[in-house]
Amino acid sequence: MPELLPGLEQEAEDKPRSGLEPGYLVICWNDPVNLMEFVTHVFQQVFGWPRPKAEFHMLQVHEQGKSVLIRESLEKAEHYVHQLQKYSLHATMERDS
Amino acid sequence: MKLTRVSKDQFSLQLGGREKSLLLELLRLYPRVPSNYLAVSKMRNLPDSNTSQKLLDDALAEQRADNKRQLQALMDNPGRWSENQSGFQLALSATEIDWLLQVLNDIRIGSWLILGSPEERFEVVNPETAPHLWAMETAGLFQMYLLHALQSAG
Repeated sequence: MPELLPGLEQEAEDKPRSGLEPGYLVICWNDPVNLMEFVTHVFQQVFGWPRPKAEFHMLQVHEQGKSVLIRESLEKAEHYVHQLQKYSLHATMERDS
Repeated sequence: MKLTRVSKDQFSLQLGGREKSLLLELLRLYPRVPSNYLAVSKMRNLPDSNTSQKLLDDALAEQRADNKRQLQALMDNPGRWSENQSGFQLALSATEIDWLLQVLNDIRIGSWLILGSPEERFEVVNPETAPHLWAMETAGLFQMYLLHALQSAG
């Protein structure tokens, strides 16, 4: 395997990702006010998930403080965050490092 | 509020006269969540966070305006409510129930924010906080009724 010159590897890591690359995480964060049943309902509506999967992520939010819901391209991640925030859920998108 | 009939994606919900008044009173509070409450990113590590935030703010503003129009139509249209011996029947589709859940959650979250975003159960009830506590809890109660209606329909 060719040895990389110092700095080149770092440069490759720093290169901006394409907006089409699935490098963005959609995360839902816990809060003490959203009802658990409601959060499950929203996950089912937004992602079309079956109830057990929606409940799994809802419980992860509740017990661990957050859940990574999906890894997507920039545009799709934005779309999902908009959908989740329509329901006033505390959802954000973060670049996957 | 209870589900009395489901047919062809149409849900018939029965409300007592007082329940109907409470629901309408509550819905008049919409919107309650401040427009700058929701951030698109917590770590702000997006290629263009400002543009992403603006896109989100615009989408939510449009959504709020649509919701207000739909809400007004629901409240102003007497045909949506049919009176019977036990109170009133409200007919809603599954999509409308989902939309009403969004509206109610905005009222719940907005009221919680006004109360100072308490982490635990809110216990300081006084003339200033009582209306917001009432709105938060009542919105949650109607949300649970609607969620159970959707679930019981399968």
